[in-house]
This record gives sequence, structure tokens and C-alpha cells, in this order.
Amino acid sequence: MDKKKIEEMVNQVFEESFEINKGELSPDKGIFEDLGLDSLDIVDLVVALQKKFGVKIRDDNRVREIRTLGDIYNFIEALYKEGNFLVDK
Amino acid sequence: MKRVVITGMGVVCPLGSNVEEYVRGLEDNKSAIQKMEKWKEYIGLNTLVAAPVEIKNEQSIPRKKRRSMGRMGVFAAQAAEEAVRDSNLSESVITSARTGCIIGSTMGGAEAMNDTFEIMLPEKDLSNLSSMNFFKCVSHTAAMNVSQCFGIKGYVMATSAACASALQAVGAAYGFIQSGKQDVILCGGAEELHAIVAGSFDILFATSTHFNDKPEKTPRPFDKNRDGLVCGEGSGILVLEEYEHARERNAKIYAEVVGYHTCGSGEHVSQSNKEAMVSCMTETLKSADMKSGDIDYINAHATATTHGDQQETEALKEMFGDKIPVSSLKGHIGHTLGASGSIELIATLKMMQRNKIYPTKNLDDIAEDCKGINHVMKSQDKEINSVLKNCFAFGGINASLICKKIF
Repeated sequence: MDKKKIEEMVNQVFEESFEINKGELSPDKGIFEDLGLDSLDIVDLVVALQKKFGVKIRDDNRVREIRTLGDIYNFIEALYKEGNFLVDK
Repeated sequence: MKRVVITGMGVVCPLGSNVEEYVRGLEDNKSAIQKMEKWKEYIGLNTLVAAPVEIKNEQSIPRKKRRSMGRMGVFAAQAAEEAVRDSNLSESVITSARTGCIIGSTMGGAEAMNDTFEIMLPEKDLSNLSSMNFFKCVSHTAAMNVSQCFGIKGYVMATSAACASALQAVGAAYGFIQSGKQDVILCGGAEELHAIVAGSFDILFATSTHFNDKPEKTPRPFDKNRDGLVCGEGSGILVLEEYEHARERNAKIYAEVVGYHTCGSGEHVSQSNKEAMVSCMTETLKSADMKSGDIDYINAHATATTHGDQQETEALKEMFGDKIPVSSLKGHIGHTLGASGSIELIATLKMMQRNKIYPTKNLDDIAEDCKGINHVMKSQDKEINSVLKNCFAFGGINASLICKKIF
């Protein structure tokens, strides 16, 4: 899975779960201040990412460091490289 | 004691997504009952009929308000939106600490409960649970979501007494305004349809099972061939307001709430009890300082169960004889359970406004054990100045409310 595919799938999560238009999604966007998510949304973001990529990230401390959409792309890419995906989509 | 009036109404129900559509459906004597093909997958579920609501324009509720709503939250928010618009109350009044919100339901969102268990139970794993499931499952999900949507800062409560929930909510709102604790309260009930809910009645043999291929022929309140209730869903919200508060702003007033009572039977958890019904209606009349002959129309609970309809008939016969017209709306919209009290009260108030009584749909042949009261079997014009609404619930809980026209 290449980075582009990861970005596409993460963006799908934001479109499907948080009703954010594709046009607003770029790596520099802050997930709180720019994309409007709050603490409750983060719980659902984790659940949606877990489903999308077949991973378990709820207890991964790196989740707490995420600030931008780009951080999520990088985090998911790192998980992939570590071989953490249960299903390689 | 302060006087309390109704200044706004909103509804989402199987016959329509606003009051106008709903009343037009009743006027046309339509049935909203459908065959539930999907329910065939449930082993042991014998009723395959229900009255579902088609949700419209859900996206108009902002995502952050909507994310915590199950179906019943959406119904309640949309019904409340219509009621608030209808009342013409200003935003500053709605968001003041003198305005409350009391909405009842039998339980929290059935769909969210089902989803929670489906996610959690197979592996006993909670890690894929949405943060929103809790807010959809809680018993006060409708009250909570409506109060968040409208910025309510007064009393926020949820009554939970199965099929009497909505009428208890209206009754509680009446009491709080009467006593001067609040000036305005959005109140009523909400309920969502799910096999879990219908199944609860089904296993008690309380549902209709003989009309699965002729859904429009059931339920049949008071009829010889009645065979049980049909579950529905939706929400009915009323704006109750202190009389002088309403007069000062020159509000449109549908009616005055003049009497209310709720009581338990203390007898049986599921079987209706005539004595408790009589007691409830007697105390309601007393609280309104009225006699039985002062009532012009009774909107019955009558769900089309064998025992319930018979007991209600006996109670009505004893209290009102065969003079006062009685009808049930369950034949049109099914039993909307915790929402039925307010959804049906709204139709009852429209009947009073129009001086017209809508009949009991599917009442073709009055059962022997339901004779002796004045059944309305065809649409009827009649001057109506006062109405009595009944709700009789599982748990032996009864509620009755009287409204009068204001001249």
C-alpha cells in the first residue's frame, strides 16, 4: 500500500464519518481547529480508522500526538511499515 | 396556580413528517401500517407488521447536533423544530432558564442498543464502540438531544413509563408551569421502531399476527377480530406555556390544559386494570373541576389487545356511559408507544380545533366485550370544547389529561 492510497483511505474516513468535503482535506489541516473535530469525534476517528485499515490503535500512545491530517497519514503509514495491518486493503 | 396553555405543536409520525401531513392522513382515513419483510430474519417473531417513519431532511440538523441522535432523537428534534416554529417563541425565550424540555420514551434508542451489543458481545471487545452509542442508548436520549439542539437551559427531564411516557411528560410540564417553576416547556414523547421492541410485545402474545399479508387491516381497536397491537414510531412535541406569558406575546393558543392525573394499578405488570383506569380518569376530572358529562370527546388508548380494549371499554362505560364519542388512532398509525400520548394528543387538539372527530380505523364490527360506549366509526362533525386523552401502560401505569378550548 503506497502513501497515496493511505491518504485516500484516511480522507474517506473524514468524508464518511465527519461529512467533510474532499476539497477541505489537505495534510496541513489541523483536525481540531481547521476540520472542526472535538474530543468525542476523536474516539470515533479511532474506531473508523481501525475499521478502515484493520488495525488496533485505541491504546497506541501515538494517537495522542496527532494534530494534523498529515500526522494521521504518517501514523497510518508507520503502522503499515511495522506490519500492523490485519488486512491489507 | 398558574393557567397553562398549548401554543405550539410538531410531529413526525408514520402518517407524515409534520402536523399538516399527519392530520391529512387521518382525514383521508389512511393506514400507515406496512409489512416488515426484514423482520422475517428473526426466529420466533410472529408479527410482521409495523408503522415505520420515513426520515426526511435529516441532514438539516448540523452534524455535531445529529451525531448523538438515533432515530428517536431525529424524530424528536424535527418535531420540536416544528413545534417551536409553530409557537413563534423567540430564541431568547427558548434559551432562557425559564424554558424546559421534558420528553419521554419507553427506553433509549433500540437500534443503538442492538448495535452496541452486536459490536461488543461476540468477542467481548469494546474497542470498536462509537463514542455516540451511549448518547443514543440512554433513557433521556430524546430530551437530551432536543435540549442540546435548542439550547434549553431550564428543566430537562425524561419520563419513562412505557406507553404513558409522553402523556406523563405533558403532565409533568403542566405541573411545573402551574406551580410557577417554568414559563415554557417543550414536552412530549419519542419512540423508535425495532424488532427488539416489537419482539417484547410479541413474546407476550400482545401483537397482531393474523394480518401480516393485509397490513392495512390491523390493528383493529375494539373490533371483534382484533388480535393485538402493531408497533409504530415517531415523536410528538407540544409547547406548553404559562397563560399570561402567552397572552402578553399574543400567541396562538390551541387549548388550555385543565386536568391531569397519573397513577399505578399496583395489580399486574402487564394486564390493564379497569379500576385503576377509572381512578385515573376520576382524579383527572376532579383536578379539572369537571364532571364526566363535561367531556365532549375521548381519545382512547385502545391498542387492539384483547384484554386492554375490554378493560378500557368497561372503565369508559362506567364513567361516561354511552354518550361521549370515543375513538382510537392506533388503526391509522399503530401504537407509537412512548410517543403515543403526545402524537395522539396533537390529533385530538386538531379535532377540537376543527370540531371534527376522526373514527377508529378498522373498527368494522364492535366486539361484544367492547360494546356500551359511543364508538366513532365514521368521521363525525361535532362541536368539541373539551377532550380527554388516555394512556395506559405496562407496569400498571395510567395517565389521563384534559384540555379545553379557550374562547
